[in-house]
Amino acid sequence: MNIPLWSIIKRGLVTQSESFPDLPQEASGLPMVSQTPCQGMQCRRCMEICPMGAITINDRQITLDRGLCLGCGLCYQNCPSETLTQDRSTRTAVLAREDLILTNQPKPNKPVITRSLPFLRSLHIREVSTGDNACDLEAIASSNPIFDISRFGVFYVASPRFADALLVTGPVGKAMQEPLRRCYNAMTEPKIVIAAGVSSISGGLFRGGYAEANGVPNIMPVDCFIPGDPPHPWSIIHGIMLAMGKI
Amino acid sequence: MVKGKLQQPHWRFGHLTARILPQGYPAVEVLLLNIKEGGGLIITVPLSGKELSYPSLTAEIPAAHRAERAIGDFFGIRAQGHPHWQTLILNSEAWPADFTPLSPTGLGQREPFAFTEVVGEGIHEIPVGPIHAGIIEPGHFRFSCVGEIIVHLDIRLGYQHRGIEKRLSEMPWPHTRFLAESASSDTASGHALAHAIAMENLLEITPPPRAQYLRTMALEIERLANHIGDLGAMAGDIGYSAGAGLFSQGRGAVLALAQTLSGNRRQRYYIKPGGVNRDLTETGRQSLALGIRNLSQQMKELIPLLLENPAVIDRMEGVGHLTPKMAKDLGIVGPAGRASASHYDARASFAHGLYPAYTAVIPHRETGDVLARAQIKTEEILSSLDIIAHLLEKLPQGPIAVKPLEDKLPGDRVGIGIVEAWRGELIHWITTSPQGKISRYAVKDPSFNNWKGLGIAMRGNLVADFPLCNKSFNLSYSGSDL
Repeated sequence: MNIPLWSIIKRGLVTQSESFPDLPQEASGLPMVSQTPCQGMQCRRCMEICPMGAITINDRQITLDRGLCLGCGLCYQNCPSETLTQDRSTRTAVLAREDLILTNQPKPNKPVITRSLPFLRSLHIREVSTGDNACDLEAIASSNPIFDISRFGVFYVASPRFADALLVTGPVGKAMQEPLRRCYNAMTEPKIVIAAGVSSISGGLFRGGYAEANGVPNIMPVDCFIPGDPPHPWSIIHGIMLAMGKI
Repeated sequence: MVKGKLQQPHWRFGHLTARILPQGYPAVEVLLLNIKEGGGLIITVPLSGKELSYPSLTAEIPAAHRAERAIGDFFGIRAQGHPHWQTLILNSEAWPADFTPLSPTGLGQREPFAFTEVVGEGIHEIPVGPIHAGIIEPGHFRFSCVGEIIVHLDIRLGYQHRGIEKRLSEMPWPHTRFLAESASSDTASGHALAHAIAMENLLEITPPPRAQYLRTMALEIERLANHIGDLGAMAGDIGYSAGAGLFSQGRGAVLALAQTLSGNRRQRYYIKPGGVNRDLTETGRQSLALGIRNLSQQMKELIPLLLENPAVIDRMEGVGHLTPKMAKDLGIVGPAGRASASHYDARASFAHGLYPAYTAVIPHRETGDVLARAQIKTEEILSSLDIIAHLLEKLPQGPIAVKPLEDKLPGDRVGIGIVEAWRGELIHWITTSPQGKISRYAVKDPSFNNWKGLGIAMRGNLVADFPLCNKSFNLSYSGSDL
């Protein structure tokens, strides 16, 4: 047997040292609303092209709901005024559903809410998949040697009994609602719920059907939302660290 | 007639489904495939009588087993004489017994799901799932064992049923591509390509050559990423952490290439009817070529670490054995089929991307165990790398899509897309109504029949070998649940 151990050792360190780097130039990323004025109702190209109905235009105010957005990029590819542009940031997670809704209007200042942060140093996560396996693969990727989520004190665990957080992917169809509830109930307090991927936030492409696959917020309160279909592993790590209060 | 056709050489069972005819009553439809000429045959059997049933094919064609049960679930149509008649997908307590989503009549009643009871001295059951310990999809496995040996494995799926087939027939057709490729989002390119080909059949358009090259590359990159990931996961399941870590890095490298090609690590929303969604720049082409060269080098170093390692071979050899006869009868496709002596690869039979004119190396094995499946995957990794490198070199210039496409589909037509995705043959089958609306959209994921193969392959194995064997098949739960 001649296993070239050297080929393992010479690889050196592969873990990315920079946290949350922007996506490379060739990547698509999610759309965002820039300050450039929208052409308003005469154009509406993005509204018509969006398969999800995530964009609404009212007079000159444009509203984009990232909780519905697939990140297909058709809107910013077709926007003549560059009001909708690419967002290459991987810091995309938010703590409140309404923060996923972007507009070109100034937002009212929100009162700062102080939350208790019991998981500031470490978090153990139970991942439950309910119908979006690309998102599961990105969650697995977040623990690989390149992203290495363990260095932030975050671990995926095998049982809800060990877990502080529930990370849900997929739209939670009818048959998965009861198992998910039971998983949640098996976790001890304090606990948090993270919805990863557009289908878990709103049901995405599956919402409104007979299978009632309309996302996690219909089943249980959600503490953190990670948009994207699927989100980049760095975005998943961002969501988890945001929920912990590290960011 | 179906049986007669299947006894002829080069014919195989494709799919079985039902639809509601424009006249208002249902019909059962069988798709048979001629894998030599790349054609097919659809046999439609209208059920206009009061009795919503037809004689079951399963006893003679075991590959129809799950499809017949799915028809029972979605249409309430009964297969008379089916050896194991009970609900398949809508089996949770969440669905009422008379709920048949695709049939407006709702006349049928489903038989409730019951696990196969194995009795005898010392037999005990181990229930697992639906939520598993790892980061994988939900499904319930029930092992009936004697000591540590599995006597029978019952696999109960359907937890992720999202009503995709019905939604696909309700949406405006230009939006269907987004949902069609979400049927199993880890096979986004495969599903998107099958959808695109079915739509192109309907619209009678041909994508430009550059698009065909880019699509073929996307399909092969997906195969590469998932096969490399599978090898890593198999290494992980036998406790070989170095292998798991190294192969998961390799997978990461492929996903970066996927991002260069399509803008997204999972190649979501890249392939569309008529072409692809974005062009590859010259710098992109060069960085892809460089990436593929580095990866080839890396794989040539890594694969021996796994498959020439006696400890690994010892752990994989003879485990999860599926006999060639069983694989053929059950219609097992993809690497799992080719590990059990099948020669079928849709790339050699049906038009998708540059295939079948562009011939790929099709490895096969007779042994049918975990090791054979791992060897097939390694050989496919090397052949995919060669294909991508070759296509990058020869990539022609020109447009990347046909445009603009018609808003309306032609009426009363059938479009079928067959693609060899990384798990195997993938079928999208679209039928339009006389008004030009999608009246039935059937999806057959490669996992649909392969699940049965996994259940059979586990018999006589150790419970502890289940994760390894499961990974060697690596089936999609969501593609089967739809």
